[in-house]
Amino acid sequence: MTLSLAVPDILVARAKAGDEEALEALYRAFETPVYNLARRMLRHSEDAEDVLQETFLEVVRSIGRYRGDGSLWGWIRQIAASKALMRIRREQVRTTEELLEDTTGRAAPPVGLALDLERAFESLSETSRAVVWLYDVEGYTHEEIAELMGKTVSFSKSQLARAHARLRRQLGGADGGTT
Amino acid sequence: MTHCTMEDLLDLRAGEGSVAARRHVTACAACGADLEALHQRAAQLRALPPRRPSRDRWPAVRETLAAERRLGRRRLAWRLAGLAAAAGLFGIVVLRGVGPGASEAYGDEIALAKQESAAIEERLGAYDVSGGVMSGREAALAVELEDRIAVIDGALAQTAREAELLDLWQRRVDLMEQLFEVRVSRTAYVAF
Repeated sequence: MTLSLAVPDILVARAKAGDEEALEALYRAFETPVYNLARRMLRHSEDAEDVLQETFLEVVRSIGRYRGDGSLWGWIRQIAASKALMRIRREQVRTTEELLEDTTGRAAPPVGLALDLERAFESLSETSRAVVWLYDVEGYTHEEIAELMGKTVSFSKSQLARAHARLRRQLGGADGGTT
Repeated sequence: MTHCTMEDLLDLRAGEGSVAARRHVTACAACGADLEALHQRAAQLRALPPRRPSRDRWPAVRETLAAERRLGRRRLAWRLAGLAAAAGLFGIVVLRGVGPGASEAYGDEIALAKQESAAIEERLGAYDVSGGVMSGREAALAVELEDRIAVIDGALAQTAREAELLDLWQRRVDLMEQLFEVRVSRTAYVAF
């Protein structure tokens, strides 16, 4: 995904001063990347939209505390990832995610039926999707993911390995297993 | 060495991994292809087209923030009114001693609390558009607040003592404000 995520300093300064037009401009600049991040991590588009909304409420309430040490996108992304993971945790309280995945069978297509990457990725559990996306796409380290998720580094590593093993099985072809 | 595990391959991709795994992957065509596929997969994930929201959520963000600002102003006004009433009551007590004047001050404060409670109820009515699209936690909180308000309403109907009435009305206002916060933030989420 290639999007320009740089915003002028003056816009940030105006947003910090509470200028509603500047706040909306920030929303417009980051709406798609925030939603995309949330949607890749979460199974349902409505949940991702809720995360988008919650993220920007938090951004508007807290922008005064943003010091500009890192990129604005990095700061907003941290908020969005945290909100999405909170939602995953809440959902896990209600359902046993792995059980759902194993019993619905959608994660295990018939042998020989290769899925495209998008569909294969969609079939992963939300926790696996979150780890894969944060690690492989957003460039988070296992330490950062572990901290965000309130889990251990080995949890993050094993989730990533399980997810890739599953993707390899589903995608077939050059991904045909050797282990 | 047997074939590389997915953990081995991920370590190798990250530039880590054991010497034995590194040696194996250069010698074994299957594991070499697996490692290459891992690299490719990450690149393909990064190249997926961005997903875009189907609805514009900015109006909901703006409305929620505006509601918070209004609530903040209300609370400030209520606190100032409370301080003013307390100062007035203090003045009456000092000037006249505790007597008929105290009752008058209670009456003013009770009237103020009643007004505040009615105003919040009116605003709640205006916001209650969804008829129940709440998370389980929010719904439970709303029900608990409504129960506590009902208990206070019961107590209000059974007392005539002004000090107690004032306390009950003020607690009712506080609970109504909390209920408003739960309801408004949620309806703003679902209203757009």
